[in-house]
Amino acid sequence: MNNLVKQAITCLLLITAGVIMASDENAAQVTREYAENYVFADPNKRKEFLELTEVLRCPKCQNQNIADSDAPIAHDMRRKVYELMQEGSDKPEVIDWMKQRYGDFVYYQPPVNAVTIWLWLLPVLFAGIMLVFFIRRRKGEDTMSQSELDSQIAKADKLLKED
Amino acid sequence: MKSSRFITLLIPLVLFLLLTVFLFKGLFSDPTERESEVLSKTFPAFELPDLNDETRMYTNSIFEGEVTLVNVWGVWCQTCAVELPYLTSLSDKGLRIVGLYYDQDIDPDFGTKTLNRVRREVVQTTNRFGNPYEFNIFDVYRNTSLDLGVTGAPETFLVDQNGVIRVHHLGDINPRVWRNKFETVLSGLSPELAKKISDFNESLEPINQPKGQSSE
Repeated sequence: MNNLVKQAITCLLLITAGVIMASDENAAQVTREYAENYVFADPNKRKEFLELTEVLRCPKCQNQNIADSDAPIAHDMRRKVYELMQEGSDKPEVIDWMKQRYGDFVYYQPPVNAVTIWLWLLPVLFAGIMLVFFIRRRKGEDTMSQSELDSQIAKADKLLKED
Repeated sequence: MKSSRFITLLIPLVLFLLLTVFLFKGLFSDPTERESEVLSKTFPAFELPDLNDETRMYTNSIFEGEVTLVNVWGVWCQTCAVELPYLTSLSDKGLRIVGLYYDQDIDPDFGTKTLNRVRREVVQTTNRFGNPYEFNIFDVYRNTSLDLGVTGAPETFLVDQNGVIRVHHLGDINPRVWRNKFETVLSGLSPELAKKISDFNESLEPINQPKGQSSE
């Protein structure tokens, strides 16, 4: 009986995952329709182009990449990416070109600098501090049990004897 | 012993307050506000035709010796029409304003409009709302707009006598924006003109900011 329930749940999960993946694929196809306008002789270049449009952020619709966004600026940026690639720029060069004009903002991977380093440091620091905190607390409890436990047991004994 | 325990107990409260302040500030921050990459840099090199006469070409030499306000606009942009009357009064006061015109719809890749139709629409729009432009540079493939880091229209650049960009503003220009962003920079470049415009803004004050209304 229990097994049956487990199997049913697993089945359900798999179906859900399948549906989610299928809809993802669908979305990806919709957003990539624009790519038909751009002709690449080399299929690898085409792949690179699609990757670039996904890591570059639209400066107008801030939570969309330029692959997703339909803002005029996203159209222009996609075309510029294509142009730059036709002129022989590779991926980092295209990203740099965009960064020079739209700042670090335009690329989804933030640079590591004095300000952004905290994005990586803070969680580690927090975990470290918590660890130290817990260890010290543990130790505190241990020392108490060593010295004070005896006296407390003695007290308890005394009370028992009084009874 | 007791006081150190008190301090330990206080830590979560302090952290909570700090977080609250941080998040509260976030409520009022403008996510579209970013530092411009072109500020204090020379206006990107360009060679573009006049919107109305493709045989007339403009280059960076147009900035030589004169403070210029470059207004990126298009007839398709609502906000651009809204700021036209104010820009027109600025140009009446002696500020040189040049349009950087762009329109995706003329581009065969994107739209169906013809150049002649766009020219007609520009005349219609400027007849209706005012024409602040000495001339309009036609950013045919919008490459100069991309070089400027333009994200949409309207955007405005104050370019000094040496062709260096001193102000980059996203959105429309109105008396408040002028006071906050342009006035001090212009008074460094051309005190007389800045004075003239600020006097003009003063005269507008009662209309734009009725008593009791806070200046946002």
